Amino acid sequence: MSTVPQEVDYRKYLDPRTLARISSLDLRARLIVEGLMTGMHRSPYQGISVEFAQHRPYTQGDDIRHVDWKVFAKTDKIYLKQYLEETNLHLVCVVDASESMAYGSVGGRDATWTKYDHATAIAASLSYMAIQQQDSVGLAIFDNELKRYFKPSNSPGQWKIVTHELCLIPRLKKTNMGRILDQLAEKLNHRSLIVILSDFFDDLEGIQKGLRHLRYKKHEMMVFQILDPLEIEFPFEDVTLFKGMEEMGELLTEPRVLREGYLQQLAMATEQLKKMCRGMHIDFSRMNSGEALDVSLSGFLATRSASIK
Amino acid sequence: MNSVINSFGSNSVAWVITPSFFWIGMALVGVPILIHILNRRRYRVVAWAAMEYLLAALRKNRRRLKFEQLLLLITRCAILVMLGLALARPMGCAESSIAAMAGGRTGLHVFVIDNSYTMGYEADRLKARTHLDQARLLGKQQIDQLTAGGESVIVISAARTRRATGTALEKAEPSEANIIVRSTYDLDAAKSAIDRLEPSYGGTDMANALQLAVRLAREETRQPVKHLYVLTDFTRSAWETRDAEMLKQVGREMTAVFGPHVRVHDLGKPGQWNYAVLDLQPEGKLVTTKFHTDFLAEIKGYGSGSDAMVQWKWDDQLLGDGGRLRPDTTTKAQRQTKANVTEGGQHVLSVTLVDDEKLKVDNTRYRVIEVASELKVLIVEGERSTGMLSGSGAFLDLALAPRREMSPGGTMRSDSYVAPELISDLEMNNKVFGDYRAVIMANVSALSAGQADQIQKFVKQGGTLMVFLGEQVNPDAYNTIMLPRGLMPGKLVARKAVAADTKGFTMDFKPQGAIHPMLNAFRGEEKSGLDTAQVYTYYQVELDPAAKAEVVLKYLSGDKETNDPAITLQSLGKGRVVLVSTTASPDWTSLPAKPAYPALVHELLSGSVDVGDAWMNLEVGAELVVPAGLRLSSVPTLLDPTKKPVPIEAVTQDGQTFYRSKPLEKPGLYQLSTGAKVVPVAVNVPSDEADVRLLPPDAVKKALGDIDVQLVGDELPPSALAKEDGLDFGWPLMLIVLGLVAAECFMAMRFGHYRRQ
Repeated sequence: MSTVPQEVDYRKYLDPRTLARISSLDLRARLIVEGLMTGMHRSPYQGISVEFAQHRPYTQGDDIRHVDWKVFAKTDKIYLKQYLEETNLHLVCVVDASESMAYGSVGGRDATWTKYDHATAIAASLSYMAIQQQDSVGLAIFDNELKRYFKPSNSPGQWKIVTHELCLIPRLKKTNMGRILDQLAEKLNHRSLIVILSDFFDDLEGIQKGLRHLRYKKHEMMVFQILDPLEIEFPFEDVTLFKGMEEMGELLTEPRVLREGYLQQLAMATEQLKKMCRGMHIDFSRMNSGEALDVSLSGFLATRSASIK
Repeated sequence: MNSVINSFGSNSVAWVITPSFFWIGMALVGVPILIHILNRRRYRVVAWAAMEYLLAALRKNRRRLKFEQLLLLITRCAILVMLGLALARPMGCAESSIAAMAGGRTGLHVFVIDNSYTMGYEADRLKARTHLDQARLLGKQQIDQLTAGGESVIVISAARTRRATGTALEKAEPSEANIIVRSTYDLDAAKSAIDRLEPSYGGTDMANALQLAVRLAREETRQPVKHLYVLTDFTRSAWETRDAEMLKQVGREMTAVFGPHVRVHDLGKPGQWNYAVLDLQPEGKLVTTKFHTDFLAEIKGYGSGSDAMVQWKWDDQLLGDGGRLRPDTTTKAQRQTKANVTEGGQHVLSVTLVDDEKLKVDNTRYRVIEVASELKVLIVEGERSTGMLSGSGAFLDLALAPRREMSPGGTMRSDSYVAPELISDLEMNNKVFGDYRAVIMANVSALSAGQADQIQKFVKQGGTLMVFLGEQVNPDAYNTIMLPRGLMPGKLVARKAVAADTKGFTMDFKPQGAIHPMLNAFRGEEKSGLDTAQVYTYYQVELDPAAKAEVVLKYLSGDKETNDPAITLQSLGKGRVVLVSTTASPDWTSLPAKPAYPALVHELLSGSVDVGDAWMNLEVGAELVVPAGLRLSSVPTLLDPTKKPVPIEAVTQDGQTFYRSKPLEKPGLYQLSTGAKVVPVAVNVPSDEADVRLLPPDAVKKALGDIDVQLVGDELPPSALAKEDGLDFGWPLMLIVLGLVAAECFMAMRFGHYRRQ
């Protein structure tokens, strides 16, 4: 494993274009977390656990939501509450490894940052943070079937396994997320925090079934829809032959005349997915693989923080 | 399609001015289609994950997209077609009401307005006093029918432009001065210019005016339809000219340029008549104080009018009763016998017709007469040591100035108007030839080159050279020195003589036959002796065609013609050269013994001497050129008949400086002040314009080579007031093109081009 000099500005490792040049996933994850934590100095985020740990004096800029008013009443001094690690959290990262996740337009020709890269970086980073806090981490990788599944574990070697597996899995097939989520629901016995990382270019009804199944099993879930900047903006002008991934055929067209219709369809699908998640109290977040990862992870940690209250 | 495109002048279909643009536009229609097809073949390849949404968008918008693309393609093709059509400029037809609504009328309208002096005829119409006033009115009425901004106007004057070249008047080429208004879209300015068009006192030069109209119309390539309006009074001089062939040629060109759009207005009034004094001159060429001279006035009447009173004036003094006259075209010249010419110098003779006619400007004619009180002649005798009546020079001296009385000094005195001075050829270099009106070389051996140059200059400036040959003559010197300078009619080939005991040659004078004008005085004179005089020796002259010499008399050998000229006359510059190929003395001929001899010498002299009054008798439009030989004691000034000064400038030409005025535009008596004296200058209207009898319309058409011309009277025809021919759809189509371009931009933006969210 490569070492990173101490004086390096870790925040630059949150940029996908930088990360794309780093081949080792575990290094990517460490750099992301280091960068994230550097940026979150004196932030309200203590971790992903909910157990109280200690008090610390209030400093300007701290969120007053964490002020312990009882202590303030007794001592007339302002202290913030901090929380201990929660040892029984099970984090399961479910990563879509279908062919559509291989699409990427970020980065150079030699180091393309795909949606799958974005998903694995997030998954590895979350796993790293969880392992650091002694939580259990599990992993599920799928395309049209569940390719890999690792039960949640807090053993020190678990993170190595997770990063290793995320690097290995090839992406060639069509996705079938509904069925995969069903299978996963059957496999998970403990209540877990399930983070699903996918572009969700699949049958939404099947996905809805799978999510509902997981929710039925009382799992907490977070859904990250990862899209490439070109998929979000569709900036093509000239006549283009679109070769569909996941056996979707080809289309020769003038993209500028289809742009409006395409964006409408994408917005409709996203809105439908979002609505579906909201209906099941699932946190939904759409991520742009061209944007820095702290946006994704901050969102995740903010959501967790909100759930503490 | 070709017939549609090129059917010029057709009333049933539209036509275009520049069909090539139309065809280019049609050809370019393929370009958008080609670009569309090529674009479909040139594409980039992109692997795409969100294919499902793309296909869904396509499914939903397929029809709309196809329609939009088709609409865009059709719009782009239409832009090119319409642009080509607009640039081709289709013209509307006469009967199309749609054309009248949509098209803006364009065209070039050329007005040729005759403003010769006969257009000043007082026809007393309701709103126009003269023909020219009526022409102005018609021109402005026609311009009022034109479309501002689309139709342009050219106005040309048909007055004759002439210039003086010494003694002769020559017709000029179409003059820029005749252009009153160049092509203008400012119709008000055109009308103002027509209002300002002044009557000229000159004649009509219709051929040149029409030629100018054709040229200007040809130069105006922007206008699709061209109209020509000729406003004239149909006088004969305009259409029955010596330039008939040129007029026909112009007629053909008019058809080519104006097509059927030529309208000729006849502004003449039926029954109009005019009397005019066409010419005034002395009966003989030379007017002297010694001999009485009659004067002749050519007075003609065109049309039937009342009696006119004739007034003759000599230096503004009435010459008795001129009598009453009702002239017509056959009236003989009126003779004035009472002029008492006693003083030399310039005198003014005038003839005026007093009547009640409507065109008075040609009723008076002036003539400045140069009266010679003394005609100085230099006789150069070539034979040395001659006594009285023993040389050619002496015979000539006596013939020109016969002695009548003894002077107090004991010498015989003559009362002849000719003042001869007899010198020897050795004295020639001491004489200034410019002091004499004529130089006579009698039996002179030869001239030096310098002397020949001096003589040549003298003749070119208007002097007369008479050459008599004889024993002393060196033919080689004559051929090498005088012939190249134009002082001889041809080469002296050989001396021809008859044997001593044989009859000599005679001259082919026939008193009742054809006679050279110089010998008019001998017409009918049976006993003049010209036909019986014997010539024993003469020089054969081989006439040079370049000299253009006239043969006055030839030799006869017995009854046979010899083709050898006895007397010749030729011009050189402004002067003349007379050659007599025998002696002036009885050495070679018996002619000096004949009674006709003195008269012959006088006739040869007066017939060849330049009277020198041509520069003082001009026609309207001519410039006054003051002869270089006129003695000036100050810078000359010129006053017109109303005593207004006329600009006069010094011009240097061929090393000589002379004064020249601008064209004299008014008829009457001008006054040239030379410092020491005042010289009258007579300016008269052209005589060929006086015939105001109307030509039949067919004659005008025929004069123009039977071309298609609309002949109308002195009012606008109804068709001129409701003409819709020549509606130009170019601009409306261009507006459609702009609309289509705007629509294309909007559609391209609306359908996906350049759209950002």
